[in-house]
Amino acid sequence: MNRNPREIVSDAVARFGSGREAVIQILTEINRELSYIPEEAIVAVAGAIGVSNAEIYSVISFYSFFSTEPRGRNIIRLCTTISCQMNGSGEILKTIEAELGIKAGDTTPDGRITLETTSCIGLCDQAPAMMVNDTPHTRLTPDETRRIIAGLE
Amino acid sequence: MPNISVKINGIITSVREGVTILDACGTAGVDIPTLCYHPDLSLAGNCRMCLVEVEGWRTLAIACVTPVTPNMAVLTHSKKVRHARRTVLKLLLASHNANCSECERNKNCELQELAEKHNITNNEYQTSPKPESIEEVSPGIMRDNSRCILCTRCVRTCEELQSVAVIKPVGRSSSVTISTFMDRSLNDVPCTQCGQCVIRCPTGALFETSEIRPVWEAIENPDKFVVFQTAPAVRVGLAEALGLPIDRSTGQMVAAIRGLGVDRVLDTDFTADLTIIEEGHELISRLKGALVDNDESVALPMMTSCSPGWIKFIEHKYPELLPNVSTCKSPQQMFGALAKTYLAGKEVIDPASIVSVSVMPCTAKKFEKERPEMRDSGYKDVDYVLTTRELARMIDEAGIDFEKIEEEKFDRWMGDSTGAGVIFGATGGVMEAALRTAYEIVSGHEIPFDGLNVEPVRGMEGIKEAAITMPEKMATGFEFLAGVTLKVAVAHGLANAKILMDKVRAGEADYHFIEIMACPGGCLGGGGQPIPTSPEIRQKRTESIYAEDAALHFRKSHANPEIQLLYAEFLKEPLGQKSHELLHTHYIKRD
Amino acid sequence: MSEKKILIAAEQPIAGSALKKSLGMTSADVVFEVRESEIRGRGGAGFPTGIKWNLAGAASGSNKMVICNADEGEPGTFKDRYLIENYSLKLLEGMTIAGYAIGSSHGIIYLRAEYPYLIPVIEKAREDLIRENLLGENILGKDFNFDIEIRPGAGAYVCGEETSLIESLEGKRGVPRNKPPYPVNSGYLFRPTVVNNVETFAAVPHIILNGAEWFQDLGIGDCTGTKLFSISGDIENPGVYEMPMGSSIGELLEAAGAQDVQAVQVGGASGATITADELDRSLSFSDLPPGGSVIVFNSSRDMIDVLENFIEFFVHESCGQCTTCREGNVRLQDAVRLIRNGEISSMEELEPFFQLAEVMKIGSKCGLGQTSPNCFIDIVTKFIDLPAGKGGV
Repeated sequence: MNRNPREIVSDAVARFGSGREAVIQILTEINRELSYIPEEAIVAVAGAIGVSNAEIYSVISFYSFFSTEPRGRNIIRLCTTISCQMNGSGEILKTIEAELGIKAGDTTPDGRITLETTSCIGLCDQAPAMMVNDTPHTRLTPDETRRIIAGLE
Repeated sequence: MPNISVKINGIITSVREGVTILDACGTAGVDIPTLCYHPDLSLAGNCRMCLVEVEGWRTLAIACVTPVTPNMAVLTHSKKVRHARRTVLKLLLASHNANCSECERNKNCELQELAEKHNITNNEYQTSPKPESIEEVSPGIMRDNSRCILCTRCVRTCEELQSVAVIKPVGRSSSVTISTFMDRSLNDVPCTQCGQCVIRCPTGALFETSEIRPVWEAIENPDKFVVFQTAPAVRVGLAEALGLPIDRSTGQMVAAIRGLGVDRVLDTDFTADLTIIEEGHELISRLKGALVDNDESVALPMMTSCSPGWIKFIEHKYPELLPNVSTCKSPQQMFGALAKTYLAGKEVIDPASIVSVSVMPCTAKKFEKERPEMRDSGYKDVDYVLTTRELARMIDEAGIDFEKIEEEKFDRWMGDSTGAGVIFGATGGVMEAALRTAYEIVSGHEIPFDGLNVEPVRGMEGIKEAAITMPEKMATGFEFLAGVTLKVAVAHGLANAKILMDKVRAGEADYHFIEIMACPGGCLGGGGQPIPTSPEIRQKRTESIYAEDAALHFRKSHANPEIQLLYAEFLKEPLGQKSHELLHTHYIKRD
Repeated sequence: MSEKKILIAAEQPIAGSALKKSLGMTSADVVFEVRESEIRGRGGAGFPTGIKWNLAGAASGSNKMVICNADEGEPGTFKDRYLIENYSLKLLEGMTIAGYAIGSSHGIIYLRAEYPYLIPVIEKAREDLIRENLLGENILGKDFNFDIEIRPGAGAYVCGEETSLIESLEGKRGVPRNKPPYPVNSGYLFRPTVVNNVETFAAVPHIILNGAEWFQDLGIGDCTGTKLFSISGDIENPGVYEMPMGSSIGELLEAAGAQDVQAVQVGGASGATITADELDRSLSFSDLPPGGSVIVFNSSRDMIDVLENFIEFFVHESCGQCTTCREGNVRLQDAVRLIRNGEISSMEELEPFFQLAEVMKIGSKCGLGQTSPNCFIDIVTKFIDLPAGKGGV
């Protein structure tokens, strides 16, 4: 059961402080726990830090890990930058899309998985690679990828 | 800082150390094109228009932010610089919806001007289609991001000058747009509608929500009785809006409006004077409540209510201070309520046929007239609001030669104005006008300032304070104020208002009366005034305002003969029943 | 010349030995040693580290900051990940020495969002060091306090630029600042701030222990020290290699086992693209950018695909603040599309885009916009066949 966004914000503020410099850490907490940053949380962060709602929204919109749209319980970030592309990230992408019946950028209807493509994730020596939530998966093959997806709650 | 020598295009120039290359070039008489730079705002260095070459540097320098150093050699139109400028312009133009002839800022657009100046006739970088118009409407302000060049002047204005910060860059890279919280309409966020962003936008991405069309239709409808009111600051902005030098042009303005086919040309200055009478009495009554009756429900300091941007600001940000705001409607709305009651009676006209149009230096006035409580006449008190710029456009369209037109006078009943009404257009003006009247009411003597000029509340300082000690001998009924020192403060620009309000909220301010104007410089720097704006321009308009004040026969609101007639025949007394019905209002807390 | 393992040698000096030696020196002598080593920033820009430390040490202002840039986002770069995974004690020790050298008690590691699994690794190293009194209060019994916190990024390549990184640490959009002021005078929260790459900090303990001269001698010619390279692409043994600075790209490829080389991307997407004829060029600040990324393309690769991938990366990762980078990359991307479509078929038609690339290089606000056109210039001139004649010059 997800916690209330305001509760997450007040816990994060207690932990990281209400200074402006705590904003990314606070947003990271919300984003990790809820998979996205809902409007209510933005308002709470802006109030705690003492800046406008627009300011926090602007910050969120800059970073690719943050989202203000609801996302799945699991987020797959498949690298499509050059070394991964050369080693077959295109085929992996097709595999995931077929397996989940969604396109990159979308979330499965049951809210289980969001699929995103991402810039280089620093695993080029083990390409193709992807992150599932906080865990890296490397040297992907279509079979291995299907197995990983099947294991997601 | 000592002076140093720098070489600009080979010519040695002496400038203060630490000034920017842009300032140094200004000193040397060398023009550098800019877009994101604005004299009222912090430095962004984003647009890359002001790139110059500095000898020995690997990259070009941004003139607007780079400080000069001793013996720096700057080239401002080398091949590299010229290429860079042309490239920057072409890049901006390629993603700019250049529908110039349909644009509100046609021929008053900084991008257009630079494109012309740099002879940009073809664009190799037009490699994908231009963006389509995307208009977004709010009562006072419209946006079209397809014309936006992302200079962030509006963003900096909203944050730095107004402490409102509702518009921000959203997204990253080529998908950046200037947007709001959750990309909402300006109408659905705490935008004050002040329009300061509009007058600093270099292109037509921000503009007023135009009401020219319905105003023409009303004028052209023979069944309608069209009444115009003109705000104090319009008369010092209109000539400028028509491309003429900054000067007051009251008589020409009246004649030109009459020339449009308007039935009555009247003056908001009249209701500015009325505001002073009502607000002055309100202040005295609050002071009496606090000082004599020890009534703790009396909220002091009292704050002015003329500026609708300020009112919306306090409704959003300091709702707990709303009891401090004067209940007086703004002069525009007082005028509207009287036009369809008092004036209708005087002119023997069915109020239903009256179309009440105000010309304002303001975009927030367009919002104010839509407030649901502004219908005390039984009709919508003000039907349309035009900015100074919109009036100029109508005068242009009608082919009226503003330079040659003979001066005319306002019509009667609500056309008399005093110097006190005129100075409402400048920061500190309402305070000065109020002091001129209130002091005389309570003491029976004119305020003891040379020529009635209350200098301490004049000028461009962000927050001004003054203390005026009442004489020992007071007029009958006002003895409680004998020897009392009245403390007042004046702020213009909402960032300054915020500083004052934080003090008031913290209980650290002992003022009795505070004047706030949303816009820097007061109404003369309003969001409906001519574009561009700068400290120098606002200074010139200020001088025009005070020149107009000095030139008028009546300098004090209570001396206005038509005001006296209004009270004698219609309102009976200040703060009376009729006043309460028509001239006073209430405020609401907004999220 | 072949591999020379110092930073990634199996045997590492005992944790804290370099710090202990440093604390026995004056802070000025520590800065002097680093300066004499002539080590230059390992992130890619190559600013002399000793000079940076000297400026920050001399800057007026309290609460000076030591910041580690662990936001490696350059495509093809993973050496910092490898260093943190295996040698984070050295990283933290290097930062602590920097703290002592400039008079700072607060370090921050700005760790890219893509490396969350490294947080426990760093945390453990930190705890180990605190336990041994090599971090925290009164380090080694001296009047010197220093602690390090980890702050996550949130997914933005541009935050590898030091002023963007600082903006991000301050809780803002990661957009580059105008300079001056430079971070050494006014950085994080207006404090004097040193920002160095992971590898730079990791090298510091070795410099302190073995001396500036030893470090100088590790390099070839004018270059000093060794350098880590991340190799990927069409290569037998992708991974991290340590070579003397100044080694040739050919030597590196030989170590990693490259065959049938058509092109090599050196220094990441923003670096240089070279042909098989240029393998004797050196990895050094005076020739090929030694930032660390080396991507190999064999003859089966269509280089326009590569270019398209790079430009797409920059179009996605530009901060969007300055005109030349925000709009310029989009127009270069358009040009690649037009080349593909055959709508651009001659070098003449490409001329405006080369001009644009030049303006981006000298007119953009930060390194991103200044280097993003490199791949366009290199690949189009060296590898793309235009119908109206070979692009190559």
